[in-house]
Amino acid sequence: MLGLALIYLLINKKYEWIPKPLVERARQPDLLENPAAKRCGECHETIFKAWQQSRHARAWVSETYIKDSENRSKEKCLPCHIPREVRAGRKPEPRLKLREEGIYCVPCHVARGKINGPYALYSPPHPTDKSDGHRKSVFCVPCHEKTYKEWRATGHDDTCQKCHMPRAAGRLVQNPILKYFHAPKDVADRRFPHGEIGPREIALRVDFTPGRVRVVLLNDRVPHFIPTADNGDPRLYLTVLQFDGAGERLDKTREILAPQQETALPYKKEVAFQYPLEKGARRLSVLVEYKPAWSQEKTEVLRESYDINF
Amino acid sequence: MKAVCRFSCVAALVFLILVPAVASAKDFFVKQPPASLDKLYPPLSKEPKWIQQMHKMSGSFGGVFVNMKEGDWENAEKLAGQFVEAYKETSKMVPEWEEYFDLDAARKFAETVKTRDGTEIGKAAGPVGKTCGKCHGDNEVSVWAKYHWPSFHEVKVIDPHDDKEVEFDEYMKSISGAFKGVTVNFKEGQNDRAGKAARVFKAKYTELKSTCSKCHTNGDVKRFYVGESVSAALSGLVDELRKEKPDPGKVWQNVGIIGREGCKHCHLVHRSASFIKERWEEK
Ligand code: HEC
Ligand code: HEC
Ligand code: HEC
Ligand code: HEC
Ligand code: HEC
Ligand code: HEC
Ligand code: HEC
Ligand code: HEC
Repeated sequence: MLGLALIYLLINKKYEWIPKPLVERARQPDLLENPAAKRCGECHETIFKAWQQSRHARAWVSETYIKDSENRSKEKCLPCHIPREVRAGRKPEPRLKLREEGIYCVPCHVARGKINGPYALYSPPHPTDKSDGHRKSVFCVPCHEKTYKEWRATGHDDTCQKCHMPRAAGRLVQNPILKYFHAPKDVADRRFPHGEIGPREIALRVDFTPGRVRVVLLNDRVPHFIPTADNGDPRLYLTVLQFDGAGERLDKTREILAPQQETALPYKKEVAFQYPLEKGARRLSVLVEYKPAWSQEKTEVLRESYDINF
Repeated sequence: MKAVCRFSCVAALVFLILVPAVASAKDFFVKQPPASLDKLYPPLSKEPKWIQQMHKMSGSFGGVFVNMKEGDWENAEKLAGQFVEAYKETSKMVPEWEEYFDLDAARKFAETVKTRDGTEIGKAAGPVGKTCGKCHGDNEVSVWAKYHWPSFHEVKVIDPHDDKEVEFDEYMKSISGAFKGVTVNFKEGQNDRAGKAARVFKAKYTELKSTCSKCHTNGDVKRFYVGESVSAALSGLVDELRKEKPDPGKVWQNVGIIGREGCKHCHLVHRSASFIKERWEEK
């Protein structure tokens, strides 16, 4: 019992006391030779399973990517979709091996012969290095350049990781033996939550004046454009319908709010659309839908109806 | 300013190289590159191996002369040897192109470098250089068209009117129809119809902005064809036609800007390669 407690203490608090030869014996050198994500998942099971649900895991195998890159023949597309090593402030080089893994553990973590991460800790199977970059927004810049610029311009304090890799108490490893020797720590959500735009993200207001209606949208919470994109083409669709007293449709207008078309919703700046009211219009309905970059499917974000009393 | 020059220079270059080739189709025929080149380019190859090989050859060939000028004969000879190896290696990569290479000339060139006689070396380099130039003249444009110009036929556009994905050339026909809807109706004094057509046209034109990122990774290119001046002309056109009495001068001015800086300039840069590919696909 006491022996185990001592080991726990050594590993978590005083790992620099562990003799070098012992450290070397515990190492599994293949971990530094760019293994597939599954290998890392043997210990980091929670993180691995979450990553599998992320868009990063699909970056090379995504149907829509394959289509737009003309069966992966466009060379300009490779750096961000199959990076060799991610380094803040530098465009990655494309890699030659394990391309189907897309953006996986190795390019984001292995550098200079060590595994870099946010903690100063001792990991028996592989050497680690505390990196200051992993918890900062600049880590995402090499690929999310435009979104990063939008975020910077807002002056918002929250990092990309705060919202897209929310941390919760847990363990870094699930390996049945190892896990009891390592103190619980915060673990970031490696699904990189995405595609979840809802009514919380977009505020809607409708102002009527005689003969006119103004539909006002506001991105009040997300410190970059909604939607935001580098090379993807996500969109919001705003549809405004006018009906007469009998429920017959009189008019339909539609706007496309898309970063590629420079019409996405900026942070904390109202965007207004004005329409003339048709003669006899009694009801107005407003629908906002979202189409993510990786799908043709639209999902409903919000829908409101208004009576027109003039 | 530098960026502007880069864009316009490349555009000019593309224009100079490709447009005459297509315009004089009578006596100029761009043949498809040989099939065995495929395995040296993506997607069959992970890297553009043929280009890498070109750099290997041109690095050692050019390097001989750099060293020669510096009087570093030891390295000049070393590179001449490397050049012969690279040249030989290249000659075996695409069997259909073997004839372009003159291995004897390359060997003779390397031998001559050993004499350390600048004039003789220059003379011996001539025939080798000619083999490079001959192949480039015959094949570079077709290689560019096949491996560096993505196909517009693979680019789909979402029609803002009904959200249907359509082929790029179909979309062009419909955008062209919408544009004519504006000009024809306005000429006939049907301002209401022209106004409606202008709104449809503007929406269709704006949608083109979503196609650039399918080939370009630098958003700066959108300053052209779909940039501020064309956008302003589109809005100007729509606004003018909303008025009770639209000013014909303003309407035609905006139509002119869109037609020139939008349609025409984009066609000059992008359509030539598309023409070549289309011919290949016909056969
Ligand atoms: C090596 C380049 C690279 C790095 C570094 C990177 N990403 Fe990504 N990211 C991508 C690519 C490429 C995609 C799109 C993958 C796909 O869907 O094909 C993506 C997708 C996403 C998505 C989903 C977007 C959507 O369309 O739904 C989110 C969210 C995201 N990344 C957040 C981040 C955050 C936060 C960071 C920094 C901690 C980061 N990424 C670092 C390249 C990168
Ligand atoms: C600078 C980095 C970068 C480059 C280069 C890049 N992408 Fe992406 N790509 C991204 C990011 C980041 C996303 C995630 C959505 C977004 O922010 O646009 C993405 C998303 C996508 C998507 C939507 C997600 C999916 O899997 O369907 C497609 C399609 C796509 N890219 C195609 C391409 C093509 C084609 C090229 C080359 C012409 C390319 N990308 C080059 C960074 C890049
Ligand atoms: C045999 C088990 C095992 C394997 C396989 C493994 N790790 Fe680890 N890893 C650990 C342990 C144990 C820790 C320390 C956990 C702790 O202290 O809570 C760790 C910590 C980490 C950290 C945190 C580093 C820091 O300084 O913040 C990262 C990042 C990491 N591993 C990445 C990887 C990657 C990437 C792979 C695959 C190439 C991998 N690991 C494979 C056991 C493993
Ligand atoms: C797009 C880059 C990216 C990919 C892909 C990625 N990580 Fe990470 N990882 C990060 C960042 C950024 C952090 C720091 C998150 C934080 O704490 O804010 C991190 C943190 C970690 C940590 C420390 C615990 C934590 O959550 O902070 C571990 C362990 C880890 N990653 C393992 C992995 C493994 C295993 C994989 C593959 C299954 C992987 N990562 C894939 C970027 C990435
Ligand atoms: C305050 C929280 C917050 C911060 C900070 C934040 N985002 Fe987002 N982001 C969101 C929300 C909310 C969405 C929309 C819902 C979703 O897609 O999950 C979103 C969407 C995205 C998307 C999906 C693209 C789309 O369809 O709109 C990408 C990519 C993205 N963010 C990248 C980043 C990057 C890179 C940073 C840092 C420069 C960042 N975000 C900072 C909250 C945030
Ligand atoms: C059998 C045909 C052939 C021969 C012989 C040939 N080349 Fe090339 N070369 C090409 C083709 C085709 C390209 C265009 C490749 C591309 O753009 O993908 C090219 C391109 C190049 C390039 C430009 C590469 C780039 O990055 O765009 C250089 C430099 C070059 N060749 C050097 C040479 C030199 C030097 C020689 C003679 C010693 C030579 N080539 C002989 C076919 C040939
Ligand atoms: C099917 C692929 C494709 C599409 C779609 C496309 N381009 Fe291009 N474009 C090219 C290629 C290939 C070049 C040659 C230079 C290069 O490779 O970037 C080029 C060159 C250019 C140039 C000359 C400057 C340069 O070197 O980049 C401009 C400007 C340009 N395109 C603008 C646009 C705009 C604006 C759009 C969208 C409205 C667009 N392109 C859509 C393939 C495409
Ligand atoms: C992105 C640059 C771009 C812009 C802007 C553009 N075009 Fe095109 N257009 C092309 C390309 C590329 C083709 C050849 C398509 C192909 O080969 O599949 C084309 C083809 C056409 C065709 C022939 C279609 C067919 O197959 O018969 C017409 C007509 C046309 N465009 C009209 C227009 C008009 C009118 C405008 C302006 C209102 C315009 N285009 C703006 C790039 C552009």
